[in-house]
Amino acid sequence: QTVTLKASHQFPGGKGDVRDEMVQLIAREVAAANVGLEVRVFPGASLFKPKDQWNAMVKGQLDIAAFPLDYANGQHPQFSATLMPGLVKNHDHAKRLNNSPFMADIKKIINDAGVVVLADAWLAGAFGSKKGCLVNPEDLKGAKIRSAGPAFEEMWAGAGASIASMPSNEVYTALQTGAIDATDTSSGSFTSFRLYEQIKCLTAPGDNALWFMYEPVLMSKKSFDALNDKQKQALMAAAKKSEDYFFQEAKKLDSEMETVFKKANVQVTSLNGEQLAKWRAVAQRTAYKTFSDSVPGGKALIDKALNVQ
Amino acid sequence: MSPLEMGVVIALVTTLLLFSGAPVAFAMGAAAVGFLVIFDGPRMLGVVAENMLSGLDDFTLVSIPMFVLMGAAVASSRAGSDLYEALERWLYKVPGSLVISNLGAAAMFAALTGSSPATCAAIGKMGIPEMRRRGYPADLATGAIAAGGTLGILIPPSITFILYGIATGSSIGRLFLAGVIPGLMLTGLFMMWALFVCWRKGIGFDARHRIYSWREKFESLPKILPFLVIIAGVIYALYGGIATPSEAAGVGAALCLVLAVTIYRMWNPKDLWHILKDTTRESVMIMMIIATSILFGYMLSNLFVTQSLANWIAGLAVGKWVLMLWINIFLLVAGCFLPPAAIILMTAPILYPIITQAGFDPIWFGVIVTINMELGLITPPVGLNLYVINGIAPDVRLPTILKGALPFMLCMVVQILLLCVFPEIATWLPDTLMGKSVVK
Amino acid sequence: MDAFARGVAALSRFFGVVAALMIVLSVLVVCQMVFVRAVLGQSTVWQTPFVTYLLVGATFLGSPYVLLLKGHVNVDLLPLYLPHPARKVLAFLAAALSLAFCLLLFIKGVEFWHEAYAKHWTSSSVWRIPLWIPYLSLPLGMGLVCLQYLADIYNLATGKDLPFGLKAEDTL
Ligand code: NA
Ligand code: NA
Repeated sequence: QTVTLKASHQFPGGKGDVRDEMVQLIAREVAAANVGLEVRVFPGASLFKPKDQWNAMVKGQLDIAAFPLDYANGQHPQFSATLMPGLVKNHDHAKRLNNSPFMADIKKIINDAGVVVLADAWLAGAFGSKKGCLVNPEDLKGAKIRSAGPAFEEMWAGAGASIASMPSNEVYTALQTGAIDATDTSSGSFTSFRLYEQIKCLTAPGDNALWFMYEPVLMSKKSFDALNDKQKQALMAAAKKSEDYFFQEAKKLDSEMETVFKKANVQVTSLNGEQLAKWRAVAQRTAYKTFSDSVPGGKALIDKALNVQ
Repeated sequence: MSPLEMGVVIALVTTLLLFSGAPVAFAMGAAAVGFLVIFDGPRMLGVVAENMLSGLDDFTLVSIPMFVLMGAAVASSRAGSDLYEALERWLYKVPGSLVISNLGAAAMFAALTGSSPATCAAIGKMGIPEMRRRGYPADLATGAIAAGGTLGILIPPSITFILYGIATGSSIGRLFLAGVIPGLMLTGLFMMWALFVCWRKGIGFDARHRIYSWREKFESLPKILPFLVIIAGVIYALYGGIATPSEAAGVGAALCLVLAVTIYRMWNPKDLWHILKDTTRESVMIMMIIATSILFGYMLSNLFVTQSLANWIAGLAVGKWVLMLWINIFLLVAGCFLPPAAIILMTAPILYPIITQAGFDPIWFGVIVTINMELGLITPPVGLNLYVINGIAPDVRLPTILKGALPFMLCMVVQILLLCVFPEIATWLPDTLMGKSVVK
Repeated sequence: MDAFARGVAALSRFFGVVAALMIVLSVLVVCQMVFVRAVLGQSTVWQTPFVTYLLVGATFLGSPYVLLLKGHVNVDLLPLYLPHPARKVLAFLAAALSLAFCLLLFIKGVEFWHEAYAKHWTSSSVWRIPLWIPYLSLPLGMGLVCLQYLADIYNLATGKDLPFGLKAEDTL
């Protein structure tokens, strides 16, 4: 009797998207292990809307999903720490973060809710503008910006930008028509949405990134516990491979983005340590402050994250 | 049971439930819930509430009631008849001028609303009685309005394009632009048919009875002006960097309300409530269908029917145009029984990968689907425009309306064929104004 | 029972007005948002989720009113084809089917609403509205639809309403 697991994500399927590949790889490895386990992947939000995936896993109606953990911040406000400006500097730093007390706390919340982490994944992101380079907080004064997450929105607003919210598929047109003049998102999205046709200057992650996001592969604890030991082993082995694969590919997403944007004659820059510190100062009095004040255990989470060297 | 076999059972039972006469929204919802429980167990009931709520939790959908409100505000005023009267004064020497004026007014009104029934009601309320009073046969009068009304979803703004954009992830702005030229061409085809039939039957030479002076002609123009201002305003908001499509819809709705209250003096509570009642009725009806269609789509995807069906169709060794023909026949049949919103939300996720794989442009296909949906608005038993005509002219029987509408429906088929031969009719305008299309 | 049917109709009408006002309010808020951003160049944070939830609310709360108006579109081919007595039987069946679905939505809606309330769920935007407020519209609206259906079934049984609103002489 083969167990079929449903895996859901919102990224394009079968087109080489790294986040899709991460899940497909687990499906292939598990099938090859021949332990009576099949993973059926539903790409492109073809099963659940992205933000419904968390609840569906908690209730055991969805087995596996990959999405930005921040999507579930309405249920667990602590998850906002995983899309918080300036906490993660680069990919190697992100890797060290995975085994830190900070992520231990986050994972405890995940587990207590009835979900387990199969594979850790951190994506870097960038920000860019039609007007000029954004490297210092002053550069954002008066800009109209669309942001991927609420913590970033607060920081941008703190730097004097005005915030516009819209679905991600309207960003290209909004930049084109001038409804917004700047945006932030993951490196992969910057490339796939062809924002190099609209952006004049891009601030790539580099070594002092401002934008990092935790986007793990998760599994419903109910579904995981229902597997036999062999199946669990095969699944965890597959997940480990997927995690390693993604770590390599995540760096490539950044370099690909830089190549594509440079080829399109977009100026590409990144932050130095001093500029990052300035942004952190803005975040300190906006996003970090709100998070510390309003989220239970928020202050401790931020401190723990900042303590990871 | 294999997913494909499940698909057959689901299709049969859902058809049965729809034919029970229960509201489309609830019949689809009941089918969705029933099959989830039967094929996947009662634990799946846990997703129903969240699915319904999150299905509508999408800012893009906000434009639907707004584009309906735009139409309802103008439709309940005398604006519709002002519009075709102005056109009539300029065209009165042409055979069948009144039909042609009504068609032209429908096209203009289509640019003010995203909904076809609204267009149909706005122009037909004055247009049908006036045409019949002046001796135009009932079939021509009602058929022309039924068909002219469908332009509401082809000429932007369009609820059909919005839903297609949401279901396939295509740019709504681009879809709107793609509908402009096909919409104008189809209006042209409608007018040519009207001209031909009136010339052949020798009807509508009003010039013999009434002559409009140049002064009368120009006097009628200021009445069209507010419409042009609003259309221009919405287009400016859309493409001038002020607002996204959803936001432009809000601005347009507000402008239309202001227009109805100021120029057409609909400020007493009864008039205002009339506008709001129509808006609420049509929007809620569409939004409920959207919510349960999404639930139905979830059921199909969860049971792997959608994916198996797509794979099966993709595996058929047929040429791409044979495929396109069958897709259109399928949509046409579905269009007889279901309103456009339900069809698009249920089929677009299945069809999108198939047509992109076959090498068709998804924006172009959005236009094809929309014209096909226009046909469905006239075909019984579920034809939203037929209900509207029935409300305006209860004494005209269904076969009469259909007889009058049939040639116009053939015009739509001709328009689909033209688009197949010359896809640029749809793609040229968006590609020119927004750059080559971004296919993800 | 007549009083019940009249009471339900009044309630449906009341929520119809509420739904209509929610649509008007959403139009105003969208205009305010465009003005604030395009003209004043300021942030717009709460408007998008607020308007979205307003329309979620308008849909579910307006649903009983639209049912009262017989405005939920249906396929009336079979009813038109059938003779009047059979039509009446079909009308009961159709109402029962819809009632079953709406009752389920009501029950599941109450559960989901309660979960959002008890677990303090909020929206995931900067504007953190407690989700039980918009989620209330589903059980409330669907509960009213159930009542409206009960009233409809009563009206149908007593002959106050015609099946599918069709007169005996209405045929294909
Ligand atoms: Na339109
Ligand atoms: Na039809």
